[in-house]
Amino acid sequence: MKLSLAWLRDHLEGAPSADELAKRLTACGMNVEVREPAGPDEIWDVDVTTNRPDAMNHRGLAREAVAAACGTLKPLAINITEGATPVGTLARLTVEDAQGCPRYCARVVRGVKVGPSPAWLVERLQRCGVRPINNVVDATNCVLLDVGHPLHAFDLAFLKGQEIRVRRAHAGEPITTLDGVERKLTADDLVIADASRAVAVAGVMGAANSEIAPSTKDVLIESAYFDARSVRLTARRLGLKTEASHRFERGADRAMARTAVDLAAELIVRLAGGEVAAGVLDSNPDLPAPHEIPFSLSRLSAFVGCEIPRELTLRVLTALELAPRIVGDAVTCTVPTHRVDLELAEDLYEEVLRHFGYENVPSVLPSAAMKPGARLGTWPLTERGRDALTAVGAAEAFTYAFVSEEIEAATAGSPLADRGAVVALDNPLSARMAVMRRSLLAGLAEAAGGNLRRGAERVLLGEVGRVFFEKGGKVAEEERLAVAVAGAVGPWDALRQADFLDLKGVVEAVLAELGVSGTAWRHATAPVLAAGEQAEVVRDGCVIAIAGRLADAVSTVFDIPATLWVAEIDLTAAVAAASVPTFEPLPRFPAVTADLTVRHKLTLPYDQLVAAITAAAPEWLEAVSPVVRYRGEGVASDEVKTTVRLTYRHGERSLTQDEVNAAHFALMDRLGRELAVSFS
Amino acid sequence: MATEPLERARQEFLAALTEAGCDPARVEAVRVRFAGRRSGLLRELEDALKALPREAKPGYGKALNELKTLVEERLAAAQRAAEDAGIQRQVLDVTLPGRRPVTGALHPVTLVRREIEEIFLRMGYSVADGPEVEDDWHNFGALNMPPDHPARDTQDTFFLKDGLLLRTHTSPVQIRSMETMPLPIRLIIPGRVYRRDSDLRHSPMFHQVEGLVVGEGITFGNLKATLEAFVHVLFDPRLAVRFRPSFFPFTEPSAEVDITCVLCLGAGCGMCSGSGWIEILGAGMVDPRVLSACKLDPERVSGFAFGCGLDRVALLKYRLPDLRLLFSGDERLLRQFEGVAR
Repeated sequence: MKLSLAWLRDHLEGAPSADELAKRLTACGMNVEVREPAGPDEIWDVDVTTNRPDAMNHRGLAREAVAAACGTLKPLAINITEGATPVGTLARLTVEDAQGCPRYCARVVRGVKVGPSPAWLVERLQRCGVRPINNVVDATNCVLLDVGHPLHAFDLAFLKGQEIRVRRAHAGEPITTLDGVERKLTADDLVIADASRAVAVAGVMGAANSEIAPSTKDVLIESAYFDARSVRLTARRLGLKTEASHRFERGADRAMARTAVDLAAELIVRLAGGEVAAGVLDSNPDLPAPHEIPFSLSRLSAFVGCEIPRELTLRVLTALELAPRIVGDAVTCTVPTHRVDLELAEDLYEEVLRHFGYENVPSVLPSAAMKPGARLGTWPLTERGRDALTAVGAAEAFTYAFVSEEIEAATAGSPLADRGAVVALDNPLSARMAVMRRSLLAGLAEAAGGNLRRGAERVLLGEVGRVFFEKGGKVAEEERLAVAVAGAVGPWDALRQADFLDLKGVVEAVLAELGVSGTAWRHATAPVLAAGEQAEVVRDGCVIAIAGRLADAVSTVFDIPATLWVAEIDLTAAVAAASVPTFEPLPRFPAVTADLTVRHKLTLPYDQLVAAITAAAPEWLEAVSPVVRYRGEGVASDEVKTTVRLTYRHGERSLTQDEVNAAHFALMDRLGRELAVSFS
Repeated sequence: MATEPLERARQEFLAALTEAGCDPARVEAVRVRFAGRRSGLLRELEDALKALPREAKPGYGKALNELKTLVEERLAAAQRAAEDAGIQRQVLDVTLPGRRPVTGALHPVTLVRREIEEIFLRMGYSVADGPEVEDDWHNFGALNMPPDHPARDTQDTFFLKDGLLLRTHTSPVQIRSMETMPLPIRLIIPGRVYRRDSDLRHSPMFHQVEGLVVGEGITFGNLKATLEAFVHVLFDPRLAVRFRPSFFPFTEPSAEVDITCVLCLGAGCGMCSGSGWIEILGAGMVDPRVLSACKLDPERVSGFAFGCGLDRVALLKYRLPDLRLLFSGDERLLRQFEGVAR
């Protein structure tokens, strides 16, 4: 909020220097953010928190300054001279909706001469960021900035029937507001109307049909107290935020409605001449019984954590006009009408504490029974996933959880993503962020594509995050891990591009890091991946991961300029299968190894070859491990030469070379017969 | 003893040779010094023989011969070693880049999150989580933001169907924890949150971390001490911590917490707009209305809560210029943080 320092000082007796005033206001929570010289005056920008509408004006802020030991508050002087004509003979007031408008005050000033405001007022308004209009309107704005109560001035001649009716609008009722926009109202909107039409949207903005014009002679000043919620709903629905609505939404001062109308009438006569009619139209002069808050001084100190002096407590509460009464340890405060934020004892603790000074509270660490902390919920799972990603060399990426419908649909074709309906945002920022992802590939493939388009020679990205599904009207969240691999494999291997086995190796290593074993890889048909170049990883009959080359159609959606290998792991399902290893005795006897080169059809999968070798070998075959695969010259185009290393080791004794040779040759004989393979 | 100079020469020779290592030039220098034909030390020792009394000559001569043999053998070996090393150097280029296993890199936000979690885990806090898709009650209602509360304006919300929304802060996890956990509660709550906002300093998806302590006798002084300890461990023990009164619907009293600018240490710079301070945390005592909403008795228990933007901490710690870079998936950026301890 912008305000004038000179104006603030007008309300204070014995105020300190500007520096001191700014310092003390900031310390008590009225943060003076900007100070800008303006001649002999200064323009201050003060950040008043939204719960303090009472301080969004010069007098309200001066009250805070008093509580912050910056002098005393001058009394508000009202010198109003009324004419003989009773206001009731000039205008009538009916409030049809007392809930939306608990109080409506109005005065009439007759015989004004509308013109420009004097220089002092123009300057003050401008310093506060308000555009001067004419002396009558400026007078209402001046009172708003002075004491914080929003007012409106009508040309009485344009109020048909010289009447004010506060009522709900008719559905579809039109009104052209002062900003020149024609708006349609609903039956929920509160309006100020004359005998035949709406002349203002209550608490938001007046209508053009009754505004103060150069020809205006008689003025009706409105000073009402509207229901905060009603104003807020209307202002939000109309998309109209004004100085008035801003204050009414946060809570206006019901008692001030009367004071403000007097201040405005007096100022209008001073600036534009004319005569104030006798009396005030006031729909409801009675104020509700004030709210009382009791609290105990000892509890206040216990809450803060140090002794708060009794004198300071009383001084602050008195300065804030809370009328503290004290009996022993018990204090009772009466909440004035302008403090809409005060309800509970803790609200008063804050009032005292912020003037005591947060910096004066000694810092003491809390004491509690010593108990080790732990990661709860899904954190152990996701943290393990992140560690697995870095263990395999991936860079961890964060991508947006919402994507375009097109991207979502393109990446949803997999058994992991197909677990529920897509969750759409009601009010997305853009079409690019319209729906929640069901697969991490939605963001990760895009990120990988970005790296490749920037000329990256290799990509190894990973992400751990949530995906979202709608199932039976509820939204389910699942934790996932994904990787993307592309480009050159490593230093001194720049010519070799990543292939399926590079991806598979990454996935195997991640699963090993997650403690998952006993998985099987089998061909899969997920549309998100290229046909024939993909697999699913199965454990106990459950698909825990998919891996393969991103399908060309999907790659096109992301504009990915190179082959991209991707995998996604269902973290929850994978880690459910994890087990803690237990010690296995180390071998006591030496091993004998023998390499075996098998020439076979491409259609024979490696796992079947190994299964056949294992079946044909003696039980002391310990391991079969890959050495090299060769295709090319000397090998038919539908064949491959696979070399594996067989490790023989007996658990009870040393093996002789002769018995190993015999077993190895017998194995080759049997393989040759059973699999129709050769060994050259 | 007459052979004493010989023993001294032997020790000097061995020391010199060790020092020369496999450097051919230095081995040659050792040879000249000890076995040089004209002025080598051995030559001098040989000359000294003549001046010895007769009875000392045989012993001295024998020891001299042993020394000569040692010098010859050791010099030859050193020369061979120096030669081999030279050849080896020509074959092995140690400046070639290594065949390095790829190392991974955690995201900068993960790094700061873990750092923050560690600080609080050591103080006996647990790390909690909750759903990112929330209902109105946990995200707003229980946090003293009833429908149509003006504070909702500041948290532009993404709505889903059936009254569900994407959580705008991690505070709903505070509510869920207070609803279910036994007291005393000490929690740190990091997580992903969403707001309808996008520019240089705002991303529609970002990260927060909140802390919550609830129990009997928790004071405002406890809050201050906890945040001071936190800031001093995370950034720098020299930083001052400033608490300014503020307003949040879910805390009463509330505070904004500033720290001395980490870049200029208070002198004033571009990062802190010349003020010397950086606003880093929001905090306060848990509002009694929030405790009541969680079926806790504000007469008996009190608590404090605080929160800050994780992305912002990452920006401050690693001097990143733009929040949106964090969500770009750009490996050139992500791999800059490989070396950060985790």
